[in-house]
Amino acid sequence: MKQPGFGVIILGLLILPPIKDYLESYMLLHMLVQLPLLILSGWLIGKITEHKSINFLGIWNTNGVPGIILFVFITMYWMLPRALDEAVTISYIEIFKFVSLPLAGFFLRDSWEKIQALGRGFIFLNYLSMFGLMAWLYIDSPIQICNNYLETQQKALGWGFLIITIGMVLYILQAVFTDHAEEAEA
Amino acid sequence: MKRNWRNLTAAVLSVVLGCVLFYFGTDGFRAFTAESARTYKLLQNQPEFPNVTLEDSKGRVYPFSDFEGKYVMLTFIYTACSDICPKIETNLAEVYKQIPSKYLDKDIVFLSISFDPDRDDPATLEKYRSYFGSDGDTWRMARITKEEELNGLLNEFGVTVIPDGEGGFTHNAAFYLVGKDGSLKEVMDFTKISEAASSVTALLENEAEVVLK
Repeated sequence: MKQPGFGVIILGLLILPPIKDYLESYMLLHMLVQLPLLILSGWLIGKITEHKSINFLGIWNTNGVPGIILFVFITMYWMLPRALDEAVTISYIEIFKFVSLPLAGFFLRDSWEKIQALGRGFIFLNYLSMFGLMAWLYIDSPIQICNNYLETQQKALGWGFLIITIGMVLYILQAVFTDHAEEAEA
Repeated sequence: MKRNWRNLTAAVLSVVLGCVLFYFGTDGFRAFTAESARTYKLLQNQPEFPNVTLEDSKGRVYPFSDFEGKYVMLTFIYTACSDICPKIETNLAEVYKQIPSKYLDKDIVFLSISFDPDRDDPATLEKYRSYFGSDGDTWRMARITKEEELNGLLNEFGVTVIPDGEGGFTHNAAFYLVGKDGSLKEVMDFTKISEAASSVTALLENEAEVVLK
């Protein structure tokens, strides 16, 4: 039960007001540190679904599709510039953030191994293109998209997304050009 | 088979839930940024313009209710602003020029409200006004000296003002049109000059016709 424990600790730390306020004061940290860490906390907690006693998701999420759909919708919602803005100004959206993203991570863990390789490829490429689009949007936008964050912060976030996108492309390249024969045999 | 049935239901439910989330999160797919959401909400609610006390570039002090019975075309600015405010004011000057002069003063007043009352005293506003061809009467520039009145107004209209750390502010910008009854009628894109001018002129002409009948 090590992983779920870590998950709860991470979630608890993220909720702590000084840490929460600091991460939310920079657009880059808000979107690329706080949000992913919230997903990670849920993913770690999701380890408990591997215990046979919790059978609920086994029945309702047999092929992993429902879970992955929820994951995609929740993460796409949090990529709307508006969601980021409102999380800072409206308290119930802030609460929703701390509930929905760990849940998304939780579902991801249960679903990722269940969906087929083709589905995994689709999801991965979907995020690759989405991150690329976000990079372009935030770097190139001549106007301030979020009311609570300045244009310079927006640009920094755009470069952050670009780095992630490049990382994902490199990952694909190495996956394509390395020999997976051994893994396949095993 | 039983298992698959549950799984399918869950999948359909997930899609429905996701769509509901996006529907409510974007006001029915209308507003994807907080700024568009703000404009949409303002137009839905048409809030009453709070009766703030203005001090204009000529040093005159009067309540906003003095404009009752006239349209007020207004913007929020501060004179030390170097990027967006001059752009807003240049564009507002274009709109001002395009409005038939017979309506000015009688039916419509232009107003630039400064949200930096510390620096924008009447003398500063008087100088700033001259850069944009405002006459100080049919197009006034004014500050709101009472802090709670200013904050209340900015809050009600959702004007977000963030200090940029270099002595300036950044804020979301638009043209606002307040109706003769004192409630907000329109929020217009400040970059679309002729669009704004023609919709304001159309409103004024419509009203003139109604009066004639």
